Amino acid sequence: MQVPIEVRDLEVCIRSRRSVVHALQGISLEVGEKQVVGFIGPNGAGKTTTVHVLLGFTEATSGSAKLFGEDVRHSIARRRIGYLPELPQTYNFLTGRELLHMAGRLFDMKGAVLKDRAAELLELVSMTYAADRKIATYSRGMMQRIGLAQALVNDPDLVILDEPTGGLDPLGRLDVRNIIATLRERGKTVFFSSHELSEVERVCDQVIILVAGQIVAKGPVAELVPAGESLEQFFIDSVRKMQNREVGV
Amino acid sequence: MNRILTIANIVWVDLLRRKDVYVLLILLGVMLFGLLSINIFGLGGAARYVLDVGLLLTWICSIILAVTMAGRQLPTEESRGTIYPLLAKPIRRWELLVGKWLGAWSSVAASTVVFYVLLLVVYRARGGVIDYNTLVQAILLHLAALGMVCALLLAISTRLTYGAAATVGFVLVVGSFLLVPRIPWFIAADPGANTIGLRILYYLLPHFELFDMRQRLVHQWSDISGAVSWGIIAIILVYGMVMTAIFLLLAWLGYRTKHFKRGGAV
Repeated sequence: MQVPIEVRDLEVCIRSRRSVVHALQGISLEVGEKQVVGFIGPNGAGKTTTVHVLLGFTEATSGSAKLFGEDVRHSIARRRIGYLPELPQTYNFLTGRELLHMAGRLFDMKGAVLKDRAAELLELVSMTYAADRKIATYSRGMMQRIGLAQALVNDPDLVILDEPTGGLDPLGRLDVRNIIATLRERGKTVFFSSHELSEVERVCDQVIILVAGQIVAKGPVAELVPAGESLEQFFIDSVRKMQNREVGV
Repeated sequence: MNRILTIANIVWVDLLRRKDVYVLLILLGVMLFGLLSINIFGLGGAARYVLDVGLLLTWICSIILAVTMAGRQLPTEESRGTIYPLLAKPIRRWELLVGKWLGAWSSVAASTVVFYVLLLVVYRARGGVIDYNTLVQAILLHLAALGMVCALLLAISTRLTYGAAATVGFVLVVGSFLLVPRIPWFIAADPGANTIGLRILYYLLPHFELFDMRQRLVHQWSDISGAVSWGIIAIILVYGMVMTAIFLLLAWLGYRTKHFKRGGAV
């Protein structure tokens, strides 16, 4: 069985002229099939860096990262994944439908199959009404929805979402939650980073908490969070504990 | 191939939905029709004068379009953040580069052909006669030169921002046009001096002057010395293709291991 995400001793050092930032300090994680995993941490913890390594945008200083058993640097590893970036920006001069057609053609989809898939996804993200409008006229929430639709165009086995509910109103967040629930029902693996801890608590089988480039906790929410405590409280305590350790308190 | 054509198609749609090409077309049209109505030094009546200035404007407009189109492809993808969902798809970096080059070159080439058609309409309206064999050769060489410009700009823009890439691109293209044909004169004028640097420049920079048939078209040299043989045209086209391939290879070397981070490349 191929594990959707497998990361071993991953380190990323970002060097600038004056300093070296240890964005990731030897993290290891594994995301199994058909799991919904929340990847949480404060700003600058290294969540997006981890996602960028998984997608081959950033090279690891040491360690390894694999998607379905393939090294992340090989394009074949990306055949079975869908990705929604944080702050999704896309070709503003295209319409929503054209964007989905373009994304589908990059997966060698064409003809009626592609047309039907685009229509199905527009329906899924409630964007049929604006499908033939230019993306330049979309609101932030609409951009997020169409970005999510393009991430799902190839019916991926693994969906990586970076802050999928960022900038969405409560209804938009509900829609995203429903989409993640639908993906779970269809047996997909979802790996998403978020600051919305209530969302994570509601939809995730497992959470991974990353602080200052290190994983401080991982496992099912029910096992991690003490009875009577919320994930938010557990998260704040974990971050404080780590920060205190960093400053030597 | 499907992925390369998809990327090229995005470049085309971008061009058609932007105003750059229409502005250049209108500007060229206004200048050409302006040439018909003015009569500087009594040259207004000479059709050849219209063709001479028109061809110069066509070259300038096409180079501006090629430099700006090809130079902005990669940096804009990075600054807009559209590179992330794109590279998260199973597309190889060389496919992205070839798709970008194909899209930029084919769209600039199509615009250039439209520029030529417009020029021809104005020239014919002035009563000019043209040798169509030479015209076809001139257009073919012009389009090949634009292929080189697009590939050069892609190579430069793998590591620079759009503004920097366009500036360096303009300097290199215009510099090559003006300087390279004169290098043998410089060497001949002072053979005792250390000319190694000049010789390196001569062989390193692209020879755009080989692709410029404006004088032949304007002065109809084909009537005097016979048309340029298609064999020579083929050799120049092969040279253009080799240079384009070299620039694309350089672009790939600069881009294949490039890493990205939020807010720009690392």
